[in-house]
Amino acid sequence: MIDFLQNTLDGLALGSSYALLALGFTLIFGVLRRANLAYGPAILFGCYCATWAYLETGIGLLFLALIAVAGSALAGIYVERLCFAPHRKGAAAAAMVASFALWMQFEELATLALPRHLYAFPALYEGGPLSLGRLTLRVESLVMLVAAILVCAALWGVLYRSRFGTAVRAVIDSPAAAELSGISVSAVSLRVFALASAIGGLTGFLIVSGDQQLTPMLGMWSTLKGMLAMMLGGLGSLPGAIAGGVALGLLEAHSQWYLGPQLRDFIAYLLLFILLAVRPPWMNTRSAY
Amino acid sequence: MDEYAIGVLTNIGLFSFVALSAWLLLVAGELSFGQQAFFGVGAYAAGICTAMLGWPLPLAALAAMALGAAAAALVGLPTLRLRGLYFAMATLAAAEMLRILFELFHWQIALGDERIGPDGTQGFRGIRWMFERGVEPLDFLAIVWILLVGVMVIFLRIENSRLGATLRALGHDPELARSAGIDVDRLKLCVVAAGGALAALGGALFAHHNTYIEPRNFDIMLGVHSLAYGLIGGLGTVFGPLLGVVLDIGVLEATRSLHGYRMIVFGGLVALLLVFRPRGLLDERAVHWIKSRL
Repeated sequence: MIDFLQNTLDGLALGSSYALLALGFTLIFGVLRRANLAYGPAILFGCYCATWAYLETGIGLLFLALIAVAGSALAGIYVERLCFAPHRKGAAAAAMVASFALWMQFEELATLALPRHLYAFPALYEGGPLSLGRLTLRVESLVMLVAAILVCAALWGVLYRSRFGTAVRAVIDSPAAAELSGISVSAVSLRVFALASAIGGLTGFLIVSGDQQLTPMLGMWSTLKGMLAMMLGGLGSLPGAIAGGVALGLLEAHSQWYLGPQLRDFIAYLLLFILLAVRPPWMNTRSAY
Repeated sequence: MDEYAIGVLTNIGLFSFVALSAWLLLVAGELSFGQQAFFGVGAYAAGICTAMLGWPLPLAALAAMALGAAAAALVGLPTLRLRGLYFAMATLAAAEMLRILFELFHWQIALGDERIGPDGTQGFRGIRWMFERGVEPLDFLAIVWILLVGVMVIFLRIENSRLGATLRALGHDPELARSAGIDVDRLKLCVVAAGGALAALGGALFAHHNTYIEPRNFDIMLGVHSLAYGLIGGLGTVFGPLLGVVLDIGVLEATRSLHGYRMIVFGGLVALLLVFRPRGLLDERAVHWIKSRL
């Protein structure tokens, strides 16, 4: 029983990072109806910028977080302008392949700047884990959980309580109608990209400072986990992204404990495949890229 | 021809098979992120047939193609009605499951004084049929390209047939195709199975060229690359994916001096190319233009 509770707690912590990744993905997907394969690599770019700054100057964590967020947002803007703005009408496959080409670009840029396979990153928290009775919880996980809740709340505020949010929701409902009522779809999509990538950058920073290390695998990992969590929750819905992320985290934590890491990944993909084949009502599988 | 050139040309031929299989699905209107898995199925199946069971390569390649087609049909059957990103994610999930199964696949038999067979993440070494039969690299290059040309001739014939028009109709708009009396589900299943067989044939040759395969050879990177080849080269003609492979591997080999900057330049160029030609260099319009001048 104690193992089960501990796994659930670990799963929640892992799931909150997946939920954050899926939120950024879903935001982009909702506005553009396109999957951005370069989402994870943009996060990688931001985190490499932060690591580089740390190695060069040794500045503090807060600045590193800012650099990671700003770097990811900039990378996101670059991806939007080059891969998604030109393909707004049709050509979904071209947009996806173009974002893959930029993925390769970011990865090479990162390994060119910092060629080693592994870099140490300053720890988010130096002390040991908290203990709750016989359960333990890492402080980093707690921070991730709190960050996920705060980002959700802030995002909700932006989307439902601001003029920009109204424009975003109008574009999600119908880009053509939004354009007719004077909203610039191009400007909205650019800003959504920057916002989503900034959320990704924050998530990436929390992940690498929690793990205290950075590898070039972060890019592919973020894209795969974010897409998986987004798909599990049904595409393009913010509550769905959070639910999908948490569900994926719980599933992974439990299956890793009982079955090992290889079957953990297998089960996550199997669940996605079955859900796609069965198409439960919350997965709205109309034509979408 | 020196060994280096032979190696490059062989690689171009080998990856053209998996690129063609992804292109076939693109023409039929679907994005697959999973063709690498059928390439892997072919590689493992053919390797087992020659190195462990002692079959001749042609028979092993046929078995690999049958298994590749079966695996693809198995993935295709429950996902027939999915479109766009949903289909792409379903194929990705299936391909990653297969890759993990390769990692868990241990089956070795003692041959002489060594043990041969797939050994999980350690890979599968000793697929030496070519070496044992004294097939020279130049002969192997000829085998690969003769098979590739054969496949392309079949595609060119299909292109100008009723089946080709049906395929393009399916790719253009499945609902419209259905209303025109095309059995969309059956056609799509056939396309998926044919793509699986084609990728598996490439995999079978790849395994015998490399003599060593491991699960990592068949990860998502290969899948997205093969998808990109068709889209860079163009969706208008069967020469499109070949052009994509030649551009990528050719540029890779020609710009060794740029080592380290290659993907930065190439990645940006691909993204830019797709801005101006979203259906690739040799898209339908370009092909039509070329045909009208011939």
